[in-house]
Amino acid sequence: MTTSSGNLAQKSVTETAIKIDNLNKWYGDHHVLKDVSLDISEGEIMVVCGPSGSGKSTLIRSLNHLEEYQEGVVSVFGQPLSRDRQSHKIIHQTMGMVFQNFNLFPHLTVLQNCTLGLTWLRKMSERDADKMVMRLLDRVGIAHLATRYPGQLSGGQQQRVAISRSLAMEPKIMLFDEPTSALDPEMVKEVLDVMIDLAKTGMTMVCVTHEMQFARQVADRVVFMADGEIIEVGPPEQVLVNPQWDRTREFLQHVL
Amino acid sequence: MDDLNVKNQPALKQFVPTPPRPPRKSERGILGTIRHRCFNSIGNSLLTLCVATVLFYLVKHVLDWAVFNAVFIADNRRQCMDISPDGACWAGVISWFNGLIYGRFPVDEQWRVNIGVLLGLVWLLPLMSKRIALRNFILLSWIGLYPFVGAYLFLGGRFGEELGLVHGAMTCLALAFLTIIYANWILSVLGKKGLNELFVPLVSRLVERRIHLLSFVAVWLLVALVIALGLSQVSLEPVPIERWGGLFLTFIIAGFAITMAIPVGVILALGRRSKLPVIHWLSMTVIELVRSVPLITVLFMAVTLLPIFLPADMEFNKLTQVLVAVCLFAGAYMAENIRGGLQAIPKGQYEAAATLGLGYLHTMVLIILPQALRMMIPNIMTSFISLLKDTTLVSIIGLFDIMLMARNIANDKDWVGMHTEPLVMISVLFFILCYSMSQYSLNLEKRLKVDR
Repeated sequence: MTTSSGNLAQKSVTETAIKIDNLNKWYGDHHVLKDVSLDISEGEIMVVCGPSGSGKSTLIRSLNHLEEYQEGVVSVFGQPLSRDRQSHKIIHQTMGMVFQNFNLFPHLTVLQNCTLGLTWLRKMSERDADKMVMRLLDRVGIAHLATRYPGQLSGGQQQRVAISRSLAMEPKIMLFDEPTSALDPEMVKEVLDVMIDLAKTGMTMVCVTHEMQFARQVADRVVFMADGEIIEVGPPEQVLVNPQWDRTREFLQHVL
Repeated sequence: MDDLNVKNQPALKQFVPTPPRPPRKSERGILGTIRHRCFNSIGNSLLTLCVATVLFYLVKHVLDWAVFNAVFIADNRRQCMDISPDGACWAGVISWFNGLIYGRFPVDEQWRVNIGVLLGLVWLLPLMSKRIALRNFILLSWIGLYPFVGAYLFLGGRFGEELGLVHGAMTCLALAFLTIIYANWILSVLGKKGLNELFVPLVSRLVERRIHLLSFVAVWLLVALVIALGLSQVSLEPVPIERWGGLFLTFIIAGFAITMAIPVGVILALGRRSKLPVIHWLSMTVIELVRSVPLITVLFMAVTLLPIFLPADMEFNKLTQVLVAVCLFAGAYMAENIRGGLQAIPKGQYEAAATLGLGYLHTMVLIILPQALRMMIPNIMTSFISLLKDTTLVSIIGLFDIMLMARNIANDKDWVGMHTEPLVMISVLFFILCYSMSQYSLNLEKRLKVDR
């Protein structure tokens, strides 16, 4: 995947994509993220797991400023993010996000959902945008549904549209916030297959998920979080098979 | 993989779905339905008979008064009474019909009203066709440009003199736009390129970017110039605003209120949800102030109070003041409708738009407002219907709208004291208008629901 911003393309491959430094966040008095620090390299597949309420979603949503945090710094390709316009530009040029509830725009067709950003923000011509999006939809196997509205699709199909919509903006990093949690069991696989394909292309991915099978199969590293803290980070065989902490083992016994 | 399974396991039973069977039809035909619904027990049969009797007498009396015993041709009320004392006297309404529709607009100039209204409808007609590109622009042009054409036709005067050159120029631009829309429509039916592409080869030599836009502007200006040359030879008899009236005036006020309600309402609603305190409080004050005051008061305030606050050399006629007041009133109500719609949009829509990189304006115009407005169609249409009816209140401050014209009939020496017939006639007219609006909204809802 090529990107439009030149200064990013020049950097070397092993560079840090996201650097999280001592992130702290409170909801009122409730301390939801406690000194979270993490480095994610370019091309790395990072799976974040942990019990509900452990701050996984808050963490991933802090990365693209959907959530504000009180302390700490998030840097993307070496650029520290703040609330200014420049940071917003970096976020939107480098990061795409897929939500648990798809969040497709119900009044637009599948094709329009995906081309919206291209035609209005990139000022791409409608024909070029359509062509590019149709290629993406074809890749995730729903090109035949391009003229349908989201309400006419199954959950799995909707989530694949959502992934295509993010990919259309050519991000360098994809954030997945529990992409399969709202799906019927028989549709989980079709979404995971798309994500596995995406992982093979060398995309940097951060996934909050409960799919341990997926984590074992594609993750480079697994982060285990509990109570707003990162407890363990490591390759899946280490964290998922041989956890060092009792909290991790207890969680794994519940999910596996 | 499949082969392995088949070999190792005992043969599975094959599942064949049971064929569907049609539901039982217990009541067939109209007679069957009536018997099943209305005469299924002794009590219900009695009830049906009672209701039928009451209905029969009601309908019979109304028809007797309105049709069978009514007088349609007479010179004055006395003659009506002589012919049929207990029937309606439609002769009075018929002789005043022109006044009810056009108010005191000079009879010789009434064709201008007809053409003006017709042009307004013709302008909107292309919205029905799927062939035309950028249909939203037609609606916008109607809101932005049609009023100039309308005002020119209704007010009259020599071109560019009474109304000023700016108004004249806008009229020409508006008419040129309408011409281009129709020319493009015809050309697209014939399978040819639109009129606005005419200058593309020429423009593309001069500039590199925005070729199509510039070509469109060039064609637009050219057509406008031709129309201006034509119009400058025409001189229309001036008609002062004081002579406007009847249903025509009601249409102007209601039409203005309805078209302005949405933009004003959207701005006020977004302002009220704004995080900036000044904008938030300003919008909230306007909304709450206007909503908590009766329309009559708003109208009186506009007519009596507004001139005090404005500089002395700025003088508006009564109609302009009324239009401002009605527009504000309609906007404040619409703002609350739209706010309801905005609140129903899930937070995820904002988040999805934000992660795509859409800014506030893009998010609102492309994502949030289309959904919010669509959701609120029934409420918005209810507001429109009540607006149409509320405009009859302007008769109180002395605008000769259809209501005041109707009451004037009773003051005519030939038709002294005739109140009932004009009011019945107006009721029927308003029912037709409002009912078709509500049917249109149902139709719109059904059409837009397809995508859900």
